[in-house]
Amino acid sequence: MQTVQTTGLASTSRKNRTRSGRLAALVPYAFVAAPLAYLGVFMFWPLGRQIWMSLTDTRLMNPTHGDFVGLENYRDLLTDPQFYTSLNVTILYTLWTVVLGVGLGTVAALAMDRPFKGRTIIRAILLFGWAVPNVAATLVWLWIFNGPSGVANEITEWLGLGRIQWLTSIQWALPSILAVTVWQVAPFVMLVMLAALQSVPEEVREACRIDGADGLNVFRNVTLPYIMPTMQLVSLLVAVWSIRRFEIIYLLTGGGPIGSTSTLVVQIRLTAFEDYELGLASAYGAVGLLLALLVALINYLFERRRAKVMSK
Amino acid sequence: MTFNRRILLAGAASIALIAGALGSPALAQDRTELVVANSQWLDALRGSRLWAALEKYEEVNPEIDMVQQAVPYNEYADRLMTEMGAGQGPDMAIVQEGMLYTMADAGFLLPLDAAAEGIDLNVTNENGVIGGERLGIAWQRAVYALIHNDAILAKAGAEVPTDVDSLIAAAQAATEATGAIGLAGRHSMNEFNAWFMDFQNWAYGFGVNWVDADGNLTINTPEAITAVTNFAKAYSAGIMPIGDPMTTQRTRFKEEQVAFAIESSGGALNVSSGGEMPSTDLGASKLPFPEPGAHQQLFIVLSRHSEHPEAALDFIAWMLGDEAQQALRDVSGPDALATDVPVTEDFIASNPWAPAFAELAQNSRSTLIPGYEVETTSIMRIVMTAVEKVLLGAETAEDALAEAEAEIKADFN
Repeated sequence: MQTVQTTGLASTSRKNRTRSGRLAALVPYAFVAAPLAYLGVFMFWPLGRQIWMSLTDTRLMNPTHGDFVGLENYRDLLTDPQFYTSLNVTILYTLWTVVLGVGLGTVAALAMDRPFKGRTIIRAILLFGWAVPNVAATLVWLWIFNGPSGVANEITEWLGLGRIQWLTSIQWALPSILAVTVWQVAPFVMLVMLAALQSVPEEVREACRIDGADGLNVFRNVTLPYIMPTMQLVSLLVAVWSIRRFEIIYLLTGGGPIGSTSTLVVQIRLTAFEDYELGLASAYGAVGLLLALLVALINYLFERRRAKVMSK
Repeated sequence: MTFNRRILLAGAASIALIAGALGSPALAQDRTELVVANSQWLDALRGSRLWAALEKYEEVNPEIDMVQQAVPYNEYADRLMTEMGAGQGPDMAIVQEGMLYTMADAGFLLPLDAAAEGIDLNVTNENGVIGGERLGIAWQRAVYALIHNDAILAKAGAEVPTDVDSLIAAAQAATEATGAIGLAGRHSMNEFNAWFMDFQNWAYGFGVNWVDADGNLTINTPEAITAVTNFAKAYSAGIMPIGDPMTTQRTRFKEEQVAFAIESSGGALNVSSGGEMPSTDLGASKLPFPEPGAHQQLFIVLSRHSEHPEAALDFIAWMLGDEAQQALRDVSGPDALATDVPVTEDFIASNPWAPAFAELAQNSRSTLIPGYEVETTSIMRIVMTAVEKVLLGAETAEDALAEAEAEIKADFN
């Protein structure tokens, strides 16, 4: 009897444990459910719609009644010279933004990592570009680059370089846009890299110095390996943001002159809202998505290689 | 302080009653809202005056609430097309002639014949009839002229130019004498939607038609090459504020910093009011080209998605009445309206530049390409890209227009 009772208690207890175990196993799913629902509604569903739309002849005038046309939009895209120009501009813009934005941001973070007088104020000033809303900042830059009365031309004139058509010449339009972008991106990079730098153990650096390493060697052999994962992540973020960036480019040049600053995103706007071709614009969007996925894949491969090296 | 349950319940019941009353369909049904979209509502001075003229309809029909949908010019077409494509948007909209054709082609518009019955509409309404139905009624027609700051011209000892060479010379003289900008005008694809209309003045001015006698598109003509070459000559003469958007250039004109501009009558009204420059200093003359120029035309249209089409038709019929047309005349400067309402003597006295526009309106042409009204914007984007190539020295006018013609013929003929 007692045995039976014990077995019964044990059984009840086991059931309770099993139930609570099952509940516990569900907890992570419960936590994931909300963001998943959010992503599903606001990202995956529109993404699916966009990819579907890229296979139809949907027009802005009649957005719910596009007919399936297969890969016709992609064929049109691949035979349009403007597509290759836009792809080229997007890649160039992204590469230069990553190189300059991450490079300058890291240099600024290294400078800010050392204590010096006025560091707090200088850090606040450096962060300004990141803190100002994109559109407001871009409008200010529009005035800075203004041909007849902009500050940029006042400076070049004072330097004896004459007036430059910053936003209206093919040579200068993309570099000008890059300058504004880097001005906005670098402070963010600086902030993230500064946090990474502050996690580098000082005693390891100190030990390296005692072993006779100079500043450059300390950076290369100690600091850089520590901050590399962060740098890699921030490069990925900056790259994806650059592929997606619209307002700075559109407000400064509208993609001109002669399409020299027309990235894929600017081309999407033009195709969707000026040519009213939502199907073709969606195909442009799909190419942009592929490009972003490619960047993520490269990052993943780097990350896997780094993990392998670390495990050896 | 403590609340007992009774007070809380009473409070909740009061809030529910107030909310219920505010949302009551019985109260809402008494009034009808008519939404009118227009980018002009945002124009300094003119926007509020135009709206005040329309709001007078509420005095005649107290059950109507006029509601304005103000959208900046640069995003107006995008916003309206997107809204209407989605089956939404305003009841009525003031749209450019090109948009009228695009909207008509998409089946977004309701006929306005009932509103125009018995009204003596003038010639500016001609293009509002599409496919035998009246889908648009003229709101304003703004013809282009060469406007000039006569005080600057007097200081520079410059004459009003009659051709492109004398325009460049006069503009340069004005800059040398006063430091003012020589010639204001749009000049980049960043402002394409308005630039192509401005550029039609140069094109038409040198005899361009964009279509041949058989109605086929023809781009690479000697006339077009001459027009583009002359525009490029003015562009590279150092007389234009390269990079300035038109809003900035107009502000500069208002502040007496610009000698000449090729502007519509709406633009002239804009620069003559609210700035340093007295309106009496503004002059307007024939364009410095051999042939007449262009006009911009705005129409009022009624959306197929309107929930109150009858009320909207009634409003448009009222708008075409004498009283409303006079009210619109008083705030529209020299722009031609749907009916012939002459500009008042008082207005001419304080704005001596106005009659020149009325004279130029006799021979001005639409900015749309005949037979290709819906496609004009797309065609002109290719043309203006060619013009930009010439301006930046990337290609000659002959080569750029030949390329544009090949592309246009492949896409549109």
